[in-house]
Amino acid sequence: MWFGRRWLVVALGFLLFLCVARLGTDFVSHTAGSDPWASTFRFFSGAVSPSFTDQNPSLPADAEPFFSRLGGDLLRTVRYALIATSLAIPAGLILGFFASEQWWPANRSRVLFQFIRWPVRISLALMRSIHELIWAIFFLSAFGDAPFSACLALALPFTGTLAKVFSELIDEQNRSAKLVVTAVGGSGAQGFLSTIFPMALPDLVSYSLYRFECGLRSSAVLGFIGVETIGLSINRSFENGYYGEVWTALYVLIATVLLIEGLGHLTRKRMTQGRTREITPQASEEQLRKTAPRDWFLRSSAVAWAAVIVMAFTLGKPLVTPMLEGQRLERLSRFLTKLTPDPIAPEKSVSTWSERGEAWSEGASGVLPWLAERWENPGKEALTNTLAMSVAAIILAGLLAFALVPWGARSLANQNPLGVAMSGGRFLKGLGFVVRGFFVLTRAVPEYLYAFLLVGLMGPSAWPLIIALALHNVGILGRLWTEVVENQGEKIPRSVLQVGGSRGQGYLGALAPMSLNRFVLFFFYRWESCVREATVLGMLGISSLGYYISIQQNFREYDDILFYTLLGAMMVILGDLLSDLVRRKMRVGRRE
Amino acid sequence: MSALSVRDVSQKFGATSALSDVALDISEGEQVALIGASGSGKTTLLRLLGLQSRPSSGSISALGHDLAESKGKDLRQIRSRIGMLPQDLGLVPNHRVIQNVVLGRSGSRNLLGTVRDLLWPRKADRDEIFQILERMGITAKMYDRTDSLSGGQQQRVALARTLFQGAEILLADEPLSAVDPARARDVLELLTGLSSEQGMTLVVSLHQVALAREFFPRVIGLKEGRVVFDGKPTDDEVSSLYDL
Repeated sequence: MWFGRRWLVVALGFLLFLCVARLGTDFVSHTAGSDPWASTFRFFSGAVSPSFTDQNPSLPADAEPFFSRLGGDLLRTVRYALIATSLAIPAGLILGFFASEQWWPANRSRVLFQFIRWPVRISLALMRSIHELIWAIFFLSAFGDAPFSACLALALPFTGTLAKVFSELIDEQNRSAKLVVTAVGGSGAQGFLSTIFPMALPDLVSYSLYRFECGLRSSAVLGFIGVETIGLSINRSFENGYYGEVWTALYVLIATVLLIEGLGHLTRKRMTQGRTREITPQASEEQLRKTAPRDWFLRSSAVAWAAVIVMAFTLGKPLVTPMLEGQRLERLSRFLTKLTPDPIAPEKSVSTWSERGEAWSEGASGVLPWLAERWENPGKEALTNTLAMSVAAIILAGLLAFALVPWGARSLANQNPLGVAMSGGRFLKGLGFVVRGFFVLTRAVPEYLYAFLLVGLMGPSAWPLIIALALHNVGILGRLWTEVVENQGEKIPRSVLQVGGSRGQGYLGALAPMSLNRFVLFFFYRWESCVREATVLGMLGISSLGYYISIQQNFREYDDILFYTLLGAMMVILGDLLSDLVRRKMRVGRRE
Repeated sequence: MSALSVRDVSQKFGATSALSDVALDISEGEQVALIGASGSGKTTLLRLLGLQSRPSSGSISALGHDLAESKGKDLRQIRSRIGMLPQDLGLVPNHRVIQNVVLGRSGSRNLLGTVRDLLWPRKADRDEIFQILERMGITAKMYDRTDSLSGGQQQRVALARTLFQGAEILLADEPLSAVDPARARDVLELLTGLSSEQGMTLVVSLHQVALAREFFPRVIGLKEGRVVFDGKPTDDEVSSLYDL
């Protein structure tokens, strides 16, 4: 076993070295004459003096006040996230059913099952492997500038993710109760609906809330391609150097994300624990029913969520821009033409299906050279850079999280770590609070936003993007790994402390080796997500797939965008498969 | 009349033979203990008796119906008369007690009926469940979450589910596996008492030979998938059962 662990460390070190060799060591690259330290200082000064009014002196007197504008942006951010998540949850449940092997009734025809299951699985993988920013670019062009495009762009990848996670959550439930229902004559569907589904419900609700939290971050990021969310405010304020405004918006976004995260924790806790009676009454059936323990928090929050979702769909700017049916079809047709690779694209931008078919048959021989040309330059290089960025980022995040976890774990950072009295408890307790706070704050801000800010401060190179990815992921890995360490049995690590070992020795000598399998699992989980993010971070001007997507977006060359997007998607799917393989080998419990 | 009839049944899982040429009849209302070491085929036999799987060879009939001839709705209808008490009780932890009990009648409900039972149980069903729980001594827990109950109380909930089902046969798989020795007797007293009261055929798999001999008029010993003992063990025969 130790042989394997040593190899793991050596392999990660070697991979990091390869990435650095590939991406270079120009961590900061500024144009001559610029003063990066001054702007960095000004930027971080904004953190302690966030703005409560507009910083732009040339705004007219009757301009909408800063907080009112920010509030509007936040509401739209929440609205899009809410609509997208509420569309993705039922779609994820239904498609998850078709994608999962376990959910299918055992006696159904295997051929039919495989015939439906595989196309669904491939579509789901494609949905989640394409970043919401890219979906948004496509949908905005196809359907026009409407909230509908933004919501759909968020809903599609979320459906893919939710379907995958939901099916896993369902499959992980104990099947004994379902077996009883079928044993007493119930059908498989009855068994599923009356036992497996209610058992999985706390996990499903908790994960849906987490997805909504992700939706908030993603919705904010859509602001960077012009969708009116809080990201747009941050983008504009940063580009104008109004750093106070940037920090105010960031704080508002972080607070909203943390609120949802807290709500998720509370909901899960209440659903898992349930409520019990304090005094057991000896009463009639009716009295027992009337005094049954009920969780009013859960009931009222379910009603509140339903009301808020209805409001999100009905209030505010109409979801679909009014357009004549003909105009809409024309727009779609033009988009489809632009999406078709050049050699097989019809001559007229608005064409019939038969004209498209003709163009296809005439130009089919030109597709392979078209693909080869793009692969040779710059596809291959962009793909390698994207991969190198994601690997470097996850390794850096892993190293930092590994170093911080013992200081963040409640079981170690206190006066009696693992039940053994030691010195330095008060200081470490405070440090633990700071470390956990760092994890919370780093994961509350989306990678894209970090990257945008860091590119502005450090100049255009791959490293701001890597640091941005690493920062966000250190927050997530730190939280997950800390939970793993806290949930370990205390007996073995305690023995290290009892014979005079320090907290660090307890962690390195016992807790870390005991937790290694789960550490590796979560590491791969996040790497999969890093690959996906690295694909779009290039849109900030660094040579990766996203960079070329962003260039082609300017020329509205959607066929090229599709090529780079599918190249990225292919890499994400491979990462997904690798991560799945590792997870199966090591058996995982929860996910992020 | 035989409640359960097994004729030359063998069950194979790949190359492994779980049961070989098992033949036995269990009469209506009879109380039988299945004794054998882990892997001797007790659970496989119980699953076959509950018509949950089909044997590799041989025939099984329950309540006069041949398993080979029963399919779909017919099979479900027969199953609705056979109660099952798995080793881990098969309860939904976050259901209220009444919701777990009401699932006993899944066989006589359709999908919508089950959903209705869970969300808005009928008045008649509520009253019946209340009476059953009263017999079990846990009425006060009727609307509590099942996972807030003690292990013993949960076992009673599982039994209440069988009673509400109106099962004519109860198959219990190692009901003493998670019970301390002091409570083991209470559990067997409850099971055999209910069986006698309801005229319900009872088949229980156990590891404890002494308890099997004390509580059951008939003991079936299994070893490596074969029936090696069938009857009421005499003092001389008991030692051979300990060797199973």
